[in-house]
Amino acid sequence: MVKDFKKVLVFGCNTCVAICHAGGEKEAETIATLIRMRAAQEGKQMTVNHLGVMRHCEPEYFEPVMDEVKKYDLVLSTACGVGVNFLSDRTGTVPVYPGINTSFYGAVEAPGVFKELCAGCGDCIVHMTGGICPVARCAKTLMNGPCGGTNKGKCEISRDVDCAWYLIVERMTKLGTLDKLSAIIPPRNWSTARDGGPRRISMEHIREFEEKEAAKTETAGGKK
Amino acid sequence: MAPEDTCTAEPYRPYGAEIKETRPYSPCRAACPAHTDVQAYVGLIAQGKYTEAFEVITSVNPIASVCSMICHHPCEQSCRRCGVDEPLAVRHLKRFAIEKSKDYRRAKRKLVQKTKGKSVGIIGSGPSGLTAARDLADLGYSVTLYEKHPVLGGMLAAAIPPYRLPREVLKEDIDDIISKGVEVKTNFEIGKDAKLDDLAKKHDAVLVAIGLSLSRSLNIPGVEGPGVLLAIPYLEDVAFGRKPALGKKVLVIGGGNVAMDVARSARRLGVQNVEMVCLENEQEIPAWKWEVDEAVEEAIKINYRWGPKAVKRENGKVLGLEVTKVLSVFDANKRFAPTFDNNVTTLLEADTIIITIGQMSKNDLFDDSSVKMDKGRVTWNPATQMSSSKNIFVAGEVVTGPGSAIAAVANGRRAALAMHLYIQGETIEGRLPAQEKETIAQMPSEVVEKISKQPRMKIKHLAPEVRVKTMDHFEMGYSEAEALEEAGRCRGCGGGAVVDQKKCMACLTCMRVCPYGAPVVTSVSEIRPEYCQACGLCAPECPAQAISMVSYDVKEIRNSLPTIIGKVDADRQEPVIVALMCTHHAKVIGVPNNVKAIPVHCTSRIDILDMLKAFESGADGVAIIRCGSGTCKYRDIEPRVNARVKRVQDLLGMLKIESNRLEILSAASNNGGNPYSALCADFSERVKKLGLRARK
Ligand SMILES: Cc1cc2nc3c(=O)[nH]c(=O)nc-3n(C[C@H](O)[C@H](O)[C@H](O)COP(=O)(O)OP(=O)(O)OC[C@H]3O[C@@H](n4cnc5c(N)ncnc54)[C@H](O)[C@@H]3O)c2cc1C
Ligand code: SF4
Ligand code: SF4
Ligand code: SF4
Ligand code: SF4
Repeated sequence: MVKDFKKVLVFGCNTCVAICHAGGEKEAETIATLIRMRAAQEGKQMTVNHLGVMRHCEPEYFEPVMDEVKKYDLVLSTACGVGVNFLSDRTGTVPVYPGINTSFYGAVEAPGVFKELCAGCGDCIVHMTGGICPVARCAKTLMNGPCGGTNKGKCEISRDVDCAWYLIVERMTKLGTLDKLSAIIPPRNWSTARDGGPRRISMEHIREFEEKEAAKTETAGGKK
Repeated sequence: MAPEDTCTAEPYRPYGAEIKETRPYSPCRAACPAHTDVQAYVGLIAQGKYTEAFEVITSVNPIASVCSMICHHPCEQSCRRCGVDEPLAVRHLKRFAIEKSKDYRRAKRKLVQKTKGKSVGIIGSGPSGLTAARDLADLGYSVTLYEKHPVLGGMLAAAIPPYRLPREVLKEDIDDIISKGVEVKTNFEIGKDAKLDDLAKKHDAVLVAIGLSLSRSLNIPGVEGPGVLLAIPYLEDVAFGRKPALGKKVLVIGGGNVAMDVARSARRLGVQNVEMVCLENEQEIPAWKWEVDEAVEEAIKINYRWGPKAVKRENGKVLGLEVTKVLSVFDANKRFAPTFDNNVTTLLEADTIIITIGQMSKNDLFDDSSVKMDKGRVTWNPATQMSSSKNIFVAGEVVTGPGSAIAAVANGRRAALAMHLYIQGETIEGRLPAQEKETIAQMPSEVVEKISKQPRMKIKHLAPEVRVKTMDHFEMGYSEAEALEEAGRCRGCGGGAVVDQKKCMACLTCMRVCPYGAPVVTSVSEIRPEYCQACGLCAPECPAQAISMVSYDVKEIRNSLPTIIGKVDADRQEPVIVALMCTHHAKVIGVPNNVKAIPVHCTSRIDILDMLKAFESGADGVAIIRCGSGTCKYRDIEPRVNARVKRVQDLLGMLKIESNRLEILSAASNNGGNPYSALCADFSERVKKLGLRARK
């Protein structure tokens, strides 16, 4: 992926991916070292450095380092996919490659164990399912589980995967709200999820203020 | 004129010295009057860096050899290890480092350029005067030392008996100081051979550091006449090899440390029958417990709780001391106010009595001087070290009262700084360092429980019956193996982990990793110094690289590896091996030439990046060498290090580098003559079989 470039920057993100021991500056340094070693093994002349900023998903963090970043032939971002995209939109002619495989957004169940708990579907129903998300945690994303594949609390796809619907029933029994499950609910509108295309949220109160401010500076003599 | 300030020799600064100034001191350091950085130098000794340890010690204490023999070591009394088992043998470790640095210090001696064009006169060559002389010479002043005795050293030369302080040791310290170009005038008594005010005219500033050279006497019947001696003149006789007139039965009045010296040296002058008498009981006696114990070992009898009443004589010859029973020594406010039962008296037989009840200064040099006195004492301002006369400064016991050599050193340093500021026309007030320092609290009990006990390395003495036969020094130094073992007991207080709060993103890793519960993470991590044992385990685990260590540079190993390994010869016959080994084995001798040994205080500090860097820099194999299970001075280190090694092996696998080029080696014993060189050699053979790594 990187061997045809002469000057590579491995660029770490020091928030979520760092917490996950996956893509912080430290991991960026480790990856940079490995690339240098491989280059040396193959007798390739290559400069590989590393860098890190607090987050790859807000433009302010890039500002102080952008000139430096643009000096490279390739940036290997070890941020999550969000950061890779976000950075790529801002580096002009310098390509940005992903340095890690972003898989999901989860919780740290135990040190070193990450578990997917939410799929960002845009139409949350967890209040009706005992706080357990069937969209993310049921292999089939069933709205009316469990299916016939449930087996002593485990999902048929793997003994290591809990059956989300089993958990939901257990939890709601404990909460005394199991009867909620017999309510008839209308079909889900999946257009709020990925099916509706790329999503964007604009917080009106913040935007309104920001736009007013921008207008002010414009009338006061243009942007700086 | 010589250029200004060219040779203000910067004192050696160990890693972390600057950060330490902004944080509470380790209790050992805070307790040392000169604030010697004990944690730093004990740590350096543990790494086999003896001359660096010497530099740390002498940067604040020019009579370090002396202190290494006679210091009453308040550092040890406040050592945080006391709560676990016994304190570090700090003084004895100091002695070891200094003895190991003998050639180094001699080679280092050289003249300091007198760049300041100003001169100072120092009266008295005890610890305070010598220290001021050293500091002012280092700053580029011409320094003249005036001493009434024929030799330099104050009480060190004239009173402390040689069986505790061999004079060659004192000479090493003095030679260091004199070699800087200090002018010495011995047999020169101010007040007799020159006037104080004249000296103050001759020099830009003068320091009076005359100590307490007169013994106090007792106002009791029969005290005048032969057979009754005073401590200081008696000790001067002992020190200068003049035989004092002692009979067959010596009675020493007093229970302080000086009294112990008087009694114990009398035993060494051949007196079989030496007794002491003091007002206090065994708990109250002011002498250090070890002095009392050693005196008792030497068959000296101590008569507790008797007060002197009269010296009994027959035809002028002393028969003994009549004493009264003491009821109490201190009043309710712990003030000295002895009460007696006059009905109970007895006679302690003796033909010689030596009075050792305290000292006072000999003030005649002030008699016709401009310096003001108050009730027989010099008036002075502790905030400026100045007397009432503007360029006459004071230091040491003459103003602080009786104390220790190291306290006199500390006071001499303050005075030197004050004189420097004065001569440079700067204000002194508020510029002299605070004497009291904030310290790290004692270890919480949940931490103490986690530290395995390891008794203090014994300090060997000559047997009592042997040592009382001569004035020779009776305490043996540590062997190198003993010193390394003892230094390894230090818990590194104050040298541990610090979080850069700008980098920390509160991931909780350090909190999960630390075996001692030191980090608490709220909005960011904060590592509590009273918990931290400076093991170093957390720093390589922090994904934000937010943790640094006060006592070492966490990046030093990876940054220095390319230089340590150097250019790898493509036609080499032997593999290049990097051995990162725990300090317990730092002194591995005879590791094969192809093995680059890098000592670490614990393998816990080795980062994944360090291991990778070794391979990147051309190593054919990397060995991590650690103590056998159960001997590590920290806990829960092994599994974390194992995990890091496994990770690096996996990463190397991605590059098709055999995983067994990286191994953890350990052996059961960690004492002196060790098996680690053999381990290295075996590993090197195994790597050789794997082949030497080629580079294109
Ligand atoms: C017997 C004894 C044992 C001790 N043991 C220990 C110990 O084990 N550990 C420890 O830490 N401390 C010990 N001390 C204390 C220690 O020696 C003193 O704290 C220290 O020496 C004080 O230093 P100083 O510089 O104030 O004065 P001093 O060491 O007293 O030096 C003063 C010097 O000034 C000279 N002087 C005086 N008047 C004049 C003059 N007019 N002109 C020229 N020169 C003059 C004196 O001759 C002397 O050399 C001991 C003291 C004694 C007496
Ligand atoms: S000088 Fe004394 S108190 Fe200071 S470190 Fe040395 S032994 Fe301890
Ligand atoms: S353990 Fe070491 S650093 Fe801590 S107080 Fe004792 S000597 Fe000082
Ligand atoms: S390991 Fe590092 S980033 Fe994580 S909480 Fe501790 S100091 Fe902060
Ligand atoms: S892991 Fe070790 S160095 Fe880090 S905070 Fe804990 S005791 Fe201190």
